[in-house]
Amino acid sequence: MDLTEEHINYIIRDIHFRGIADEELGDELVDHVCSLVEERMKKGERFIEAYDSVIKSFGSDKGIHQLQQNSIEFSNNNTKLMFKNNLKIAFRNLSRYRFYTLINVTGLAVGIACCLLIVMFVNDELGYDRYHEKSSSIYRITRYALFNEQEFHFPVNPAPLAETVVNEIPEVEYAVRFRGQGSYLVSTKEDPETFKEKYIIFSDKDFFKVFSVPLLAGNPATALAEPQSVAISASTAKKYFGEKDPLHQTLLFNGEDEYNVTAVFEDMPAQGHIKFDFLLSMGSLEESKSTMWLSNNFYTYLLLKEGTDSKVVEQKLNRLAEKYVVPQMVEMIGKTVEEFEAAGNKLVFHLQPLTDIYLKSAFSFDIGINSDITYVYLFTAIALFILIIACINFMNLSTARSANRAKEVGVRKALGSFRSHLIRQFLIESILLSIMAFVLAIVLANTALPFFNSFSGKSLEIPYESPMFYVIILSSVLAIGTLAGIYPAFFLSSFKPANVLKGKSTRGFGGSVLRKGLVVFQFFISILLMIGTVAVYQQLRFIQNKKLGFEKEQVIMVSDAYMLGEQLRAFKEELRQLPQIASVSASSYIPISGYNRSDMTYWKEGKGPTQDNMINMQSWVVDHDYVKTMGMELIHGRNFERDIASDSTAVILNESAFKAHGLRWGENNVIKTFAYDFRRGQVIPDEYWTYRVIGVIEDFHFESMKLEIGSLGLMLGKNAGVVSVRINSDSFEQALTSIEGKWDKFAPHLSFNYRFLDDEFGNMYRAESRLAGIFSLFAGLAIFIGCLGLFALAAFMAEQRTKEIGIRKVLGASVGGIVLLLSKEFGKLIIVSFLVSAPLAWWSIREWLANYSYSVDLGLGVYFYAGLTALVIAWLTIGFQAVRAAKSDPVQSLRSE
Amino acid sequence: MYRRIMHNPELLKGTLQTIILKLLEDHGRMYGYEITQKVKELSAGKLVLTEGALYPTLHKLEAEGLLVTERESFGKRVRKYYKLTETGRSSVLTKVNEFEAFIRTMFHVLQIQPQL
Repeated sequence: MDLTEEHINYIIRDIHFRGIADEELGDELVDHVCSLVEERMKKGERFIEAYDSVIKSFGSDKGIHQLQQNSIEFSNNNTKLMFKNNLKIAFRNLSRYRFYTLINVTGLAVGIACCLLIVMFVNDELGYDRYHEKSSSIYRITRYALFNEQEFHFPVNPAPLAETVVNEIPEVEYAVRFRGQGSYLVSTKEDPETFKEKYIIFSDKDFFKVFSVPLLAGNPATALAEPQSVAISASTAKKYFGEKDPLHQTLLFNGEDEYNVTAVFEDMPAQGHIKFDFLLSMGSLEESKSTMWLSNNFYTYLLLKEGTDSKVVEQKLNRLAEKYVVPQMVEMIGKTVEEFEAAGNKLVFHLQPLTDIYLKSAFSFDIGINSDITYVYLFTAIALFILIIACINFMNLSTARSANRAKEVGVRKALGSFRSHLIRQFLIESILLSIMAFVLAIVLANTALPFFNSFSGKSLEIPYESPMFYVIILSSVLAIGTLAGIYPAFFLSSFKPANVLKGKSTRGFGGSVLRKGLVVFQFFISILLMIGTVAVYQQLRFIQNKKLGFEKEQVIMVSDAYMLGEQLRAFKEELRQLPQIASVSASSYIPISGYNRSDMTYWKEGKGPTQDNMINMQSWVVDHDYVKTMGMELIHGRNFERDIASDSTAVILNESAFKAHGLRWGENNVIKTFAYDFRRGQVIPDEYWTYRVIGVIEDFHFESMKLEIGSLGLMLGKNAGVVSVRINSDSFEQALTSIEGKWDKFAPHLSFNYRFLDDEFGNMYRAESRLAGIFSLFAGLAIFIGCLGLFALAAFMAEQRTKEIGIRKVLGASVGGIVLLLSKEFGKLIIVSFLVSAPLAWWSIREWLANYSYSVDLGLGVYFYAGLTALVIAWLTIGFQAVRAAKSDPVQSLRSE
Repeated sequence: MYRRIMHNPELLKGTLQTIILKLLEDHGRMYGYEITQKVKELSAGKLVLTEGALYPTLHKLEAEGLLVTERESFGKRVRKYYKLTETGRSSVLTKVNEFEAFIRTMFHVLQIQPQL
């Protein structure tokens, strides 16, 4: 290398002076030129001459330019690079309009986070009971009966049905019955400590053949074969026996019933409607051997043979009904089969697929806690709505901003950009936004998950390990990015360069009608959700405040009182002596859905038990103090009295029953029923019980308000599941301590369990409370996202009209006038959305309230206030921008003109 | 610079990539000036690569991922060496074979006898 530093510097400067801008190429050319110059200088030329001829051999300036252009063009004609450029421009654009980007990403992220949570929730709900390997061949028999124009829809069936089905229908492989008897107090022989256990059920021996519940110990074939056997879950085994081998140990139920542990099964998954800790062998239950087809107490599940059509089995089942059930029914009511059917009575069996039970059961009671498919639909709809609102924001802002980008499009097109290139550029920008929104959304969802879980009662987790999750997320990123970006992309790329560059139509564009439509749609959904929220809350409040016919406040219910046995009387007596206690009653019939119920058929004495005068009536076994403790009102007659011995065959009817029997006060009112053998669960033929009506009480709600108040009678008897205590002071704690003291005196080994009547009442409407919560949460979110968009849109509009506002101010417009001018247009949009949403809201609320026999009367005020709220919120959003624009100094905005 | 009979640069156009790739396969890494010198040497001065054709082609090959570059600087001068990538290496043989087949076809089309 013979060139001096000076020479090299000269060459570098000259090359750049001649217009080489690309640094890479520049370095390369300098080296090349230097080499050529050296070659010449070796032959004796002077530097300046050598350099001159080298440059000439390149074709002087023109040649050098050509070289540079070719290099850039050749190397850029490559999709990877093109993509890189697109990305670079996208990033620059997004960071230049940070405000809009922020709003876009936040809105979209909140929407997506909502969606993500809801999708997880819905997925969990839909996945119930699918863990059973044979889930698609398992069915439950349900029963629909129409008798005396009363409908009975039950998931339970007669005891002999299961065995008969297996014997007479060849397509049925196994049948398993379940029979729940409520909760038990369980202990071991060694340890006097007892636990109250709720998840206990009697089950037939084929349980483990039908359901996929793996055994950890014991033999699945024989575990439930013998009477007094019990299979327990792994966690239960640990709780009672610790590290000991639980097999062949003894468990005591309610202190007396001994069961031998024959198997330990893995804890049943939470995602199933059957979830029990104890399976008691069905043989232990006398009732299970009954041959009566008229009492229905058994949940009956069938496993069909592979490839069986359930419709065929259903038909055969209904033939069984005709063969067994109808004759017994006919015998009881004393009519012929023809007469029975002619009166419109019928009995139909249905097969309910196992996987439908959790979401599609609507029985007044069931084997486990069920959900409702309506929630799944509702949630999905709301998720979609919120996502749509978020996408609308995106589209609105992008098209609105088109004014700013119109020039860019014009220049690009004039320089030879294809429309497809522009569409790609815009799509890449929206996909980039969508990626940012998803990242933020996952962070948000992760943060909100614990709250969501406690709110929905689930334990969901974001499935970070599952590759499916990433596939879904990634495809959603692309789908949402494309969907949200496709309209702006096509819209922006369709500009004619000549028009935009001349400055024509840079404001508004045709998109403004669509934009207004989208804003209307957003607020339509928001207002709809708002009215829904108010309606659900109103109905809840109506339920809470409705006169129930009993006093739900100030009643404490002590559970497990039957464990006191003979001492119950003394316990009650001692409680009554306490100064804080007004009255005490022992009965497990509580006017809250889910408590003890039993109904029988009654008729007025003097008439035979015929179709037309048989009344199905709740018959509740209570004691002398029940009416007083529950705070019920007597309309006619008197309460039960201790001194009157004949009161043991007396009955107090509610108004509905009194009317249904066609009785009149003052006459000799007596009703009759079939005698019943409670132990065997059967009616005793040709034996009757009669009851004298001594009083009538005001109708009270004893089921959810979705149901009409039915006929009901109170009879005296011993039934001590629950001891209800009415407190007469406000000091609950003091009363509770005294009651607990008494309990500990009578039952030192038993834990003291109690509940409040009004809490239990509230639990009946948990679904409604949850609905109200969901509605208010999502209504809030919808409004939030909608306003976010509106905020940006208003900011944009104000920006667009800066000059107009400046001129108006110079000409004397007031700040108030300008604020009004700017917010008027949006106000109109909100009013339009209100007009669209109000009728729809009215209709849906009417449909929903039709579920209730007792429902609130929503006035027009609700709609009015919802609309007004939306207007105020929207106005506050816009107002901020409008005031800012109106207060700006006109000198600033007009200076550049 | 004295000239002997030089080939028409138009003829060179389609073969430039093949020449560069083959040279790099034979000599490992090379820089632009070195390539022009090597071609001159191998063709006994009958072929002259102009810089205006060489650099765009090198950049194109680099963008397509057939070549990679290494930079070495001494003082103010930076020398950029070109090297074959794996894809570049595997495409050399195809390019040379393609060119050979092309020449044979040209002999038939132009009805000339090779004197090799």
